Amino acid sequence: MKRFLIACFLFVAMANVYATPEEDRLALREFFAQRFPDLDLNEMINGLYAFDEGAREQWLEMEDFPPYEIAIEQGEEAFVVPFANGKSYADCFENGGMGIKQNYPRFDTDSGEVITLEYAINKCRTDNGEEPLPWLTGELSAISAYMAYTSRGNKMNVVIPDDPRALQAYESGKEYYYTRRGQLEFACENCHMQSANNLLRADRLSGMLGQATHWPVYRSKWGETGTLHKRFMECNVQVRAKPYEAQSQVYRELEYFLSYMSNGMEMNGPASRR
Amino acid sequence: MKIKSVFLLSALLTGLLLHNFAVAADADEYKAALTKAQQTLSDAETKVQLWSTSEILLKDAQEAAASGDFELAVKLANEATLQGELAVATAEREKKIWQNHVPK
Repeated sequence: MKRFLIACFLFVAMANVYATPEEDRLALREFFAQRFPDLDLNEMINGLYAFDEGAREQWLEMEDFPPYEIAIEQGEEAFVVPFANGKSYADCFENGGMGIKQNYPRFDTDSGEVITLEYAINKCRTDNGEEPLPWLTGELSAISAYMAYTSRGNKMNVVIPDDPRALQAYESGKEYYYTRRGQLEFACENCHMQSANNLLRADRLSGMLGQATHWPVYRSKWGETGTLHKRFMECNVQVRAKPYEAQSQVYRELEYFLSYMSNGMEMNGPASRR
Repeated sequence: MKIKSVFLLSALLTGLLLHNFAVAADADEYKAALTKAQQTLSDAETKVQLWSTSEILLKDAQEAAASGDFELAVKLANEATLQGELAVATAEREKKIWQNHVPK
């Protein structure tokens, strides 16, 4: 009887600790539904502009001539240029690379790795004998922006295959998101869940839902279009944690978790932010 | 009066000698503090994410030592060590409680 009770206790405890990714996603939506009962959660793909009406109006006006448009054009030009071996980016991706951003990051069961879109773009290059591009801004970001643009309107659809390594990668990303770090001891969660819609000095903090749907982003403070990992690094610096390398395993797994949380939400990248 | 002057002179010389020994000791102390800080941060980085400030402190410590300010150099190196230890302590604490923040 005693063993049975212990087994029952462990089962309940484990079930509580190891919620499935889908349970996590639904619980997260419920969290934001309770925090912002009057908000259409699907609006959260627009970040802080879901909360701040004044900033939203300015942003919508800026969208008439969006600053990321140049990146889309440059990305398209780079995308169609064949490699020295005659192949091209289109040969590396399903559907010629068009309208597929919503499926990234994906878990590659052959290599056991999380593959982000930028990682896949550079792998396409190196597999075809080309030099990899810098991760944060420039041509890689532009190609990613173009591919994101062709995916607009699709619904985020990150898959965690039936592979314990994939679930582990997801769990690692989740642990990172909720773990305090850096001299200021902030977790991603502290800003983008607890303090979503609050002001941090003059900046309103966006919420976690929909945060992965709109990258790459033209940020006014950067003066250029950059990738999500550039933002991860910046967040780390802001809490005084030493950033990891862009496309490191840690950041790719974080992106995997973050993107899964936005599953079912509309892809709207590239985007512009303050 | 003469005895007093001799006494004062002796005290001054002793002070100067001790000062020179102290500088020499600080240089050794700095080397020990720097080695400890480098080792602590190196070990910590294999396990946790460092603070962005720690390696800057090490660099500042090296610059202070290069300019002969060993007292400051030791202080900065010790602070870097402390930061490495705190980064590990935070990570160990968070390992036990991060799940509490996940919406259920």
